[in-house]
Amino acid sequence: MGGDLTIALDNVQSLRYFAPELILSVGILAILVADLVVGKPDRKRSFGVAAVSLAIALVATLATMDGRARGLFGGLIARDPFTDFFKVLFIVTSALVGVAALRSRDAIEYRPGELQDKESGEFYALLLTSTIGMFLMAAATDLLMAFLSLELVSILSYILAGFKRRDRKSSEASLKYVIYGGVAAGVMLYGMSLLYGISGSTNLSTIYQAVAASRSTLVLVIAVVLCMAGFGYKIASVPFHMWCPDVYEGAPTPVTAFFAVGPKAAGFALLLRFFNGAIPEQIHTDLFANSPWPLVLGLIAAATMTLGNLAAIGQSNIKRLLAYSSIAHAGYLLLGLCSFSADGQRAILLYLVTYLFMNLGAFLVVLAMSDAGLGEEIADYRGLGMRAKFPALVMAICLFSLTGLPPFAGFFGKFYLFAALIAKGGSLNVALALIGILNSAVSLYYYARILRAMYFDKPASEAPIVAAPIHAWNMGAMAVATLGMWIAWTPLVGWVNASMAQWYPRAQTIVTAALR
Amino acid sequence: MDLSTLITPGTLFFFMLAAVTLVSALGVALAPNILYSAFSLLGTLGGVAGLYLLLGADFVGIVQVLVYVGGILVLILFAVLLTNKLGELKLNNLSTGLMVGAPAAVALLALIVKGVTTTAWPLTEEATAPTTARLGDSFLREHLLPFELVSLVLLMALVGAMVIARRAAKEEGRSVPEESHDRLVG
Repeated sequence: MGGDLTIALDNVQSLRYFAPELILSVGILAILVADLVVGKPDRKRSFGVAAVSLAIALVATLATMDGRARGLFGGLIARDPFTDFFKVLFIVTSALVGVAALRSRDAIEYRPGELQDKESGEFYALLLTSTIGMFLMAAATDLLMAFLSLELVSILSYILAGFKRRDRKSSEASLKYVIYGGVAAGVMLYGMSLLYGISGSTNLSTIYQAVAASRSTLVLVIAVVLCMAGFGYKIASVPFHMWCPDVYEGAPTPVTAFFAVGPKAAGFALLLRFFNGAIPEQIHTDLFANSPWPLVLGLIAAATMTLGNLAAIGQSNIKRLLAYSSIAHAGYLLLGLCSFSADGQRAILLYLVTYLFMNLGAFLVVLAMSDAGLGEEIADYRGLGMRAKFPALVMAICLFSLTGLPPFAGFFGKFYLFAALIAKGGSLNVALALIGILNSAVSLYYYARILRAMYFDKPASEAPIVAAPIHAWNMGAMAVATLGMWIAWTPLVGWVNASMAQWYPRAQTIVTAALR
Repeated sequence: MDLSTLITPGTLFFFMLAAVTLVSALGVALAPNILYSAFSLLGTLGGVAGLYLLLGADFVGIVQVLVYVGGILVLILFAVLLTNKLGELKLNNLSTGLMVGAPAAVALLALIVKGVTTTAWPLTEEATAPTTARLGDSFLREHLLPFELVSLVLLMALVGAMVIARRAAKEEGRSVPEESHDRLVG
């Protein structure tokens, strides 16, 4: 599984396959320059430029996608089906968040007749830059690129988190994010330096060969655990999750929705590439009877799920609750990695797609409601089922799906994750699957609190709340995707299988065979 | 490991530089006054520059002195001195979580020391030669992409800093009369 890149391209040859990133870069510059040159800064214009460049980037991604793996820029990044899968995921996320931010008072805090509207251009430039960063995180096949792309996304995240004007919570979120991010990056760099020391290279496949040949187990385990600090911080897994609730609560809601999906998915892409590309599953062990990775990852996953779910129970702010829920979901997703099987890793990709729609859907409801003047406490959502029927319905669908109840997309995602563990067998895997199922039951409790508030509690006022049309369309799309994903499930599974083919070429696996 | 092989001029220099770096780093973290912290940074950054030179990275070492010691550190000092509220701020990092943190830190240190000393590191012997030409070459060949990416990171950090800083200027401008407000915003 050493991630053998079949075609290595030099700098000039690579440009053709680097087109999506180049297009987005042009878009960023166009937004910044347009604000300077073309009259008064205008949020709609910036959004238009961002939307067009995202659309062209999507076309460019799909047009140069041919199912082959290429090492670009002398093997620094890879352009392969795995990258393309995540690129499409990131473009969809950024586009949805961009549309949501267009109407959001939260993102730019629009005040008619003031200079305030100026920062709109920068918001979309920052969003596009994060998208490039996530592209490169999914593509990085070199520790240097992994670190740089992770830092790019992180720095952009700090700025976006603090984007809300005159808001102490937003500034606090930004500062906490910076401090945690700085520490996590430092620890990860130390781990990477140890990996470089063992292998003499920053290239993932060279590290794989060097590690497979060496017998220095202890330092390898230390290095991988330290690297996990950086990756774990990006996906918000325990014990690097502390920033998550404060940042999610303080950041503008469109940005929170973005953090909960985009950078988290990018973190998983990096994690998958790291473990598949650089770290052999079996290492020469004098220290451990078995390979230590399933145990290390399993402990992190179990702790992440359990802490996320238990802490979510006591929350009264809905963004904070969804933050803990997203921590718990990072735990479920990590389960897919623990089994070190084709099924598990494919389940991660499948779950990320379902998670994109159901989680964005939930955040979009919060966004639409706070734009319409509703608070962000669960108490504010009392009687929402009567006051705003459609948003409440979307919220209910997304919450059921996040719990993992049957007809919704989340069920299929979770089923694949847990089934992969059980299919692989072994006491650790089965125990982890059981912990995951128990955690899902716990999560039903706090999701149901929101549902109860919306449908069974008396509202504070009877006045109906009207969501802006653009939010309504956005929410509707998320609800339809969450409800109807089973229709597109077979092509989705096929696409995921093709994306993972470089590491797991066999299409037929235990779960898919059992399902047929 | 034999002690006599350990003490060569090279290792002696290394341990001296490492000690300077570490002690000043502790100063940065633990000094009660933020101004002292900023000054301690001088030793840390200078010590790291020395380590670079010891490893034969002449260009990086000089740049470290020029940019970090000469530029960024001075900038930090100015920021501390000009922000009057910050200058009087008394920070106390000493007591937070010491009971939990110290044993964990010691255990981690022991583990890392054991890991590092029991590993057979692959070593390469390289003649000391000027690295500037090779660096320039690598920036335009095998490391072209990271080089360009860093410029993107810096550009957007600049834009972000501007977003935050301009907002602060506007904030102050709100309380003053309309004309001076316009002048402040520019």
